Amino acid sequence: MDIFTKVLWLITGIWFIISMIKDKKRTLDAMKMSKKMMGNMLGQIIAILFLIGLILTFIPPHVINEYLGGSNIFLATVVSALIGSITLIPAFVAFPLVGSIVDMGASIVPAVAFLTTLTMVGFVTFNLEKQEFGKKFALARNGLSFIFAIAISMIMGVIL
Amino acid sequence: MMEKIKKNKFLLFVVLIYLILLLSNTEKAIISFKNSGYYIKEMLMIMPVIFVLTALIEAWVPKKMIMEHLGDGSGLKGSFISLLLGSVSAGPIYAAFPVCKTLLKKGASISNIVVILSAWAVIKIPMLANEAKFLSPKFMATRWVLTTIAILIMGYLISKIVRRKDIPMDSEKINDGEIVIKEEYCIGCGICEKLAPNYFKVGNKKAKVVNSKAEQEMEGAIIKAIEKCPTKAIAMGDKKLPREKVGK
Repeated sequence: MDIFTKVLWLITGIWFIISMIKDKKRTLDAMKMSKKMMGNMLGQIIAILFLIGLILTFIPPHVINEYLGGSNIFLATVVSALIGSITLIPAFVAFPLVGSIVDMGASIVPAVAFLTTLTMVGFVTFNLEKQEFGKKFALARNGLSFIFAIAISMIMGVIL
Repeated sequence: MMEKIKKNKFLLFVVLIYLILLLSNTEKAIISFKNSGYYIKEMLMIMPVIFVLTALIEAWVPKKMIMEHLGDGSGLKGSFISLLLGSVSAGPIYAAFPVCKTLLKKGASISNIVVILSAWAVIKIPMLANEAKFLSPKFMATRWVLTTIAILIMGYLISKIVRRKDIPMDSEKINDGEIVIKEEYCIGCGICEKLAPNYFKVGNKKAKVVNSKAEQEMEGAIIKAIEKCPTKAIAMGDKKLPREKVGK
């Protein structure tokens, strides 16, 4: 276990103990809610984890390197951002997937673009958003989010 | 049964590929399985922590108090509070729509709503832990800083583009004492069922209203369920519902 995970376990563990001492019922009620939400995602999480195995086995690293790490970074980034916009999977399951592809040699620029639009831009939920906040708001928010996602990914490519 | 299959069709699809592979090319199937091993192990180490952390944040962060500082002219302080509120909430972005609509009706500014929605989507604290794990802490921290800046700029820009009158405010009429659940927003957490089991029942990951007429003596429990609903998906047609004002 890496240091980061250990620290997280430690902090969460201490907080959990304090929480149980202070208000047992409140803690357990919140745990129940969290459990239901996690349970709803479990099928997707397992599926993604096994899908990663298939990707690692069947897509050779040089292909990933060519399409997601080669000279066409900008195009790859825009395409990744578009895919992120139309996909509706929880970020929770996207991190291991993106992590595995980056480990195989993909550039982080398209990876960041995908992760950012995945959560911020919602093509599927656009209608819901329009219904609650109006067309102008939904267009402005999703459009700007897409542009900023690309910008963030480019800056990260320069910094990291 | 059909519902179960429909909900897990992605998982079923992956399992099917493995089965076909197992029959046609056993060796590759085993390699794939082993390749997944590392990620499964890592996920098992981080998942329980994220699960507990989500619950603890839900139980102890006083969201109601946070929500009282989001009005027009709340300035930079309002922006940061919005950022905080989005970061400590659980659920996907569309779960934030009704919450934000409620806040908007109570007087929260448009820029703050944008910040809450965006923060809710990208910078949830338990998710940051997952990102640091599978990418790297440096990757996570850099993306966090850049995203936070982008979100604050976006809030400012959108408040210049979109005016209050552009946002539809009148929700559909509900009869007095009638209970309605906006199912598209329900995340199936089960709080309403626990608080008022005579009125709500969770089945198939969505809460349903089993008795849509609120009786006088049960109103307290129902109002509590409406307030506690993490996505504000429940509504009751009643003018007597408490309406707190959002301060500056």
